[in-house]
Amino acid sequence: MHFPTPSSARVTPSFAEMNRRHFLRGVGACIALPAFSSLLPSRMLAAQAAAQLATTPTGAPLRTAFVVFPNGAIPARWWPEGGRDDFKLNATLAAFEPLRKRIQVLGGLEHANAVGGKDGAGDHARGNGVFLTGVRLNKSATDVRAGISIDQVIANDIGHLTRLPSLELSCDALRKSGDCDSGYSCAYQYNIAWQSATTPLTPENNPRLVFERLFGAGAHGERAENARRRMLARRSVLDFVMDDARHLQARLGGNDREKLDQYLTGVRDVEQRIQKAEQFGPNVDPDRPTPPGIPTRQADYVEIMYDMLLLAFKTDSTRVATFVLGHDGDNRSFSDIGIAEGHHDLSHHQNNQERIDKVAQIDRWYAEQFAKFLGKMDATEDVDGKSLLHNSRILYGSGNADGNRHTHDNLPLILAGAGGGALAPGRYVQHGTQPLTNLFLSLADSAGVKKLERFGDSTGRLGNV
Amino acid sequence: MLRFQGSASFSLTSSLRKFGWAALLLPLLAPAAEPSLETFRREIQPVLAKYCFDCHGGGVAKGGVTLDEFSTAAALRDPKLWSHALRNVRAGIMPPADEAALPPADAEKLMQWIKLEGMGLDPAKPDPGRVTVRRLNRVEYRNTIRDLLGVDFDTQKEFPADDSGHGFDNIADVLTVSPMLLERYLDAAQTIVAGKVPVVSRVVPEVSIPGRRFATVRVDTTVPAPPKPETPVAAPMAEGAVPAPAVKSETPIAATVAQVAVAGIPAPAAPPGRGRGRSGRPPPPPPPPMTRPAPLIENEVVELSYYTPALVAATHRVEHAGKYQLIVDLTTRERYQDNLFDLNRCRLIVRADGQTLLEQDFVREGGKKFEFSFDRDWVAGDHEISFEIVPVDPQKIQFRNLRLRLNAVVVRGPFDPQHYVKPKGYEAIFPRDPPADVAGRRAFARELLGAFAARAYRRPVDPATVDRLVAVAEGVFGETKNTFEAGIAQAMVAVLASPRFLFREEDVLPLQPGETYVQVEDHALASRLSYFFWSSMPDAELLRLAGEGRLRAELPAQMRRLLGDRRALELVRNFTGQWLQARDILTVPINGNDVFLRDNASSDYDKARATFSRLRGKPESERTPAEQEEMNEARRLFTEFNARPKPQLTEPLRRAMQQETEMVFAHILKEDRSLLELIESDYTFVNDVLATHYGIADVKGGAMRKIQLAPESPRGGVLTQGTVLAVTSNPTRTSPVKRGVFILEAILGTPPAPPPPNIPSLEDAAPAAKLKTMSLRETLALHATDPKCASCHSRMDPLGLALENFNALGTWRTTDAGQPVQAAGKLITGEAFADVRELKHILATAHRRDFYYCLTEKLLTYALGRGLEYYDTITVDRIVAQLEASGGKPSVLLRGIVESAPFQQRRPPATSLATGNRSVPAAESTSMAPLTHRPRTLSD
Repeated sequence: MHFPTPSSARVTPSFAEMNRRHFLRGVGACIALPAFSSLLPSRMLAAQAAAQLATTPTGAPLRTAFVVFPNGAIPARWWPEGGRDDFKLNATLAAFEPLRKRIQVLGGLEHANAVGGKDGAGDHARGNGVFLTGVRLNKSATDVRAGISIDQVIANDIGHLTRLPSLELSCDALRKSGDCDSGYSCAYQYNIAWQSATTPLTPENNPRLVFERLFGAGAHGERAENARRRMLARRSVLDFVMDDARHLQARLGGNDREKLDQYLTGVRDVEQRIQKAEQFGPNVDPDRPTPPGIPTRQADYVEIMYDMLLLAFKTDSTRVATFVLGHDGDNRSFSDIGIAEGHHDLSHHQNNQERIDKVAQIDRWYAEQFAKFLGKMDATEDVDGKSLLHNSRILYGSGNADGNRHTHDNLPLILAGAGGGALAPGRYVQHGTQPLTNLFLSLADSAGVKKLERFGDSTGRLGNV
Repeated sequence: MLRFQGSASFSLTSSLRKFGWAALLLPLLAPAAEPSLETFRREIQPVLAKYCFDCHGGGVAKGGVTLDEFSTAAALRDPKLWSHALRNVRAGIMPPADEAALPPADAEKLMQWIKLEGMGLDPAKPDPGRVTVRRLNRVEYRNTIRDLLGVDFDTQKEFPADDSGHGFDNIADVLTVSPMLLERYLDAAQTIVAGKVPVVSRVVPEVSIPGRRFATVRVDTTVPAPPKPETPVAAPMAEGAVPAPAVKSETPIAATVAQVAVAGIPAPAAPPGRGRGRSGRPPPPPPPPMTRPAPLIENEVVELSYYTPALVAATHRVEHAGKYQLIVDLTTRERYQDNLFDLNRCRLIVRADGQTLLEQDFVREGGKKFEFSFDRDWVAGDHEISFEIVPVDPQKIQFRNLRLRLNAVVVRGPFDPQHYVKPKGYEAIFPRDPPADVAGRRAFARELLGAFAARAYRRPVDPATVDRLVAVAEGVFGETKNTFEAGIAQAMVAVLASPRFLFREEDVLPLQPGETYVQVEDHALASRLSYFFWSSMPDAELLRLAGEGRLRAELPAQMRRLLGDRRALELVRNFTGQWLQARDILTVPINGNDVFLRDNASSDYDKARATFSRLRGKPESERTPAEQEEMNEARRLFTEFNARPKPQLTEPLRRAMQQETEMVFAHILKEDRSLLELIESDYTFVNDVLATHYGIADVKGGAMRKIQLAPESPRGGVLTQGTVLAVTSNPTRTSPVKRGVFILEAILGTPPAPPPPNIPSLEDAAPAAKLKTMSLRETLALHATDPKCASCHSRMDPLGLALENFNALGTWRTTDAGQPVQAAGKLITGEAFADVRELKHILATAHRRDFYYCLTEKLLTYALGRGLEYYDTITVDRIVAQLEASGGKPSVLLRGIVESAPFQQRRPPATSLATGNRSVPAAESTSMAPLTHRPRTLSD
């Protein structure tokens, strides 16, 4: 059987060494596209250019992830000292020392739309809701209007390449009752991925459900078949529910129609997943047990979610992901590292040294978990023989800069990975003062997104990344 | 159609008459297209000038509000501005306490003008508002599935969390559907139907003989001789011990001395100074006495000890000769012991009619399940199944109380199809056998699916929908390899995945001549009722009444019925769970140790902590002997501290707290007592755990019950319930600010503005060294030094500080961090109180109306599934007036909500009402809840 090689994929020396079957699975999506594009007429153009989409120069998948941590970071402990190349990592980021060639610390990026201005209080809702959307949120408990998030912009163009267009993860196991931040709906505070201005993509917080969604339920060996059955079962009712949805939609008014649109979008997504399942063949079935559920220890919880992200990328189940480590304003305590106070409560430290130290310890803990994940990504070989981390761009940051003062300029941000060689990690780059959305535009460009002129409050493309 | 009983409108007209501004009233009875500037200038402006302009006029715009710049009549119609003004005046917040008070007559005049003119509301025809189609939230989905099919599907685990708004998770606008959630819905529908609907009509009969049916035929509980004294005790080996001759007893032993302790096993004498010091570990505990427990029946099962020779048996009668299958279901059990293993084994012999089926040895394998199956050819009649335990080497030390638990023996058969039976639960779905012919099957499918869809959609279903469902079913059972039942199951899955199940579709009645708004159709009303009272679907009676068009006529009786049903607990649970955040008590992180330390300040402990953090980083080899001694001393203090009993929020305590909050609310609802008892009451609900926590004596047992509180008790009312006290605390200490905000927000309905950005640090107000020595109250007093802080903190801090006698766990205390608690304070409205009891009394009397308004707004929000808007003012006013007249009866509140315009009516479909002489709000929403310091001027 002859598999055509995507014409634009440059064959590098390492190509010969790599696992051919693995590689083909990785690029299988591209190969399959001509047939597949028929079911996505609106994306015909994108499909024809598929070889460049979300693909590294060696033909490996190019992954993009956004990981957000809550409540900002103590600036004095976060920012490195020294220059662009000879920088010395500070206490909070110490764990990245072994990985300093794999990351770049980004200075000077901001989210002006997260600043209160006439909207007043609500910096945590905005910190979260603006982080990937870059727009001003409508301040309302019920009239929820944000904007599409950058991960979804990318997923819209490249999502057809993989089984899942995107993956949304979270380690927020609990939700507080009562009002959220200062009159903002809780939707802003718990979701960073937005499919549209009015449809947040609720992240999955149970590692078991993430795993089953990616690979199927049951024990190793049974999952592909279980996943296939599940798909068939879903398909069996789609016609009926679509008819019911139309029946309902015809009778409803404006706001109601929007709710039905969300339902119908979901139905179309399920249809596409089914068609993709046929296109891509049986599911990958990792030889590891299904995670049992949400672990008790926070460190275990965060680690297993990172593992899910790694698995999703490694198996090329998706190339776009978002991960909320904790929603902005999160007040959980960190008894594992001896901190009994709540994180948010501490973050308003009143310049009390003991409290500042504790917040910095939490910042550092989050950074350590991320570094551990990057270490695993770095040690995982991708289809082209490079590391998974090399072929990724993972933005790690927070929607608040100084949690104490609720500032949104000079946000704490790390861009990890080399984007398949397109990025220049190993540096500490000062970008002056620019909207974070400028970086998003650049990331979208290199993922192959076409014709994105502006995004949020962007003023241009971010260079020197 | 129901009409509002007149108390509210009476009070309106009577108050107008009383205050003698009939001249003003006349042109207002029907709201004009726009307010009269002339009337405003004549009647209202003088009041504003006298009491408001100091801060909101003449160029001064405190809080961004100016009230003297209305140049046109149209500018007066400003619902956003006026709803804030109305709330502030009504709650007595404006004018502030230190300014000249607004006389009641003027206040009343102003408020009436605001409603009729400033907002342009029509009291005769309140706008029911805009509603969005509601998706079932996680709780409602679970309850609906339970009531529809009798299946408990754990949506907390399987569905993502619902977003919320206005503090509730049933707000239509905020309940979205993501693609991931849609996948979950599709999968849930499959799982639920698969667990409930049999896909075949006949199965092999199956009878389960529970373990408890196995009677003891023979047991030997005689304890064997002890092992030889020289056997080392700590090693759980007792090789070589010779068992003493056992005395056999042939009959079931009921009350023989079955568990005789083996006394007198001497511990090996350790020479002084040896053994103990080397490892530093405590000596191993003495071995447990040897026992031979008799077979023990617990609920449905019987437990057989590894240590006891025993035989248990049961007889099973079969009607027909034929092939059978026996399935034995066993679990190994043990009592876990750290580091101590139990090497005892036993042999299990399973026999049927005397013939041995299985002989197998069991070792310690805690909690493992075993299943064995055996094929038998049985004649009709009685058959005996027996289990015999033979201990293997019974002299080993019994550390873990090893048992085999016989759960059940399942007898399947006979396997001859002529004896097959209907599957369990078959009749619940299929009332009769499916016909054989195509037309008959189609008709039966139509009958089954039509009825199911009508229940699931909670309204009549059109024939076309039923046709489509039958087509889905026939698509499956039309193929020879599939059963009729499988087809029906498939169609049921489709129903549960449909948006018409997941969303609450509502119809309306035709617009009546002369009316502006339409009534919702009866089935829609039935769902509004059931989801309000039960968080679940309407039951058969509600649907029947709706179908007969009699629901509105029987509304009062139905409301009583709904409230009396146990499903009404859902209203209690979900409303208090969110209004009072009682749900959060199960997970709120409060660190008992830190709370304890704060209340029991210990300089020794502080010293130990300091030593520890100073020396921890230094390797042991580098410490001086003095430092090492210090470190040892610190360790000793820690150990001692850790060993002291300290209150903790244990699981049972958290549950008891949650139940207390729910049961108090349920009690008031059920007995129709005054809602003011939510604030102040001489009773509460506790069990032993919670009573101990509260320091209430003489409550025994885990059952929650109502208790009468002593007159001097600070408890009674939600403010002093463990739930509220803990969920408004930080993990290590109380937060008077959070507690104050809670009272303003959840009790008085006057939430403070959110904190401004860039809050100055406390160091700007006092030097760090001084801060360290200040009490919490003194620290909070710093708020008064900055007018920007003081404007809100002077409202919330005194309220929160009044609760300082309760620590973060909700226990009573008199000191905080070594300083005496001072709970006395003064409300911004002027009332002084000495302690929390006096505060509660003030809230329940002087601020009664604020509480009625607050509770009404919260419950109405919950009932409607939308945020309240300024046009709901008339509705809320009416309910509060009725509530006040009744002395705060919950029945009046609930009825007021159910009979209100927004609950009963909708805006007419597909027409814009923004015509004519009334201003009807567009999609833009003016929330009436938050009282924010939004910078606004009339120009924006």
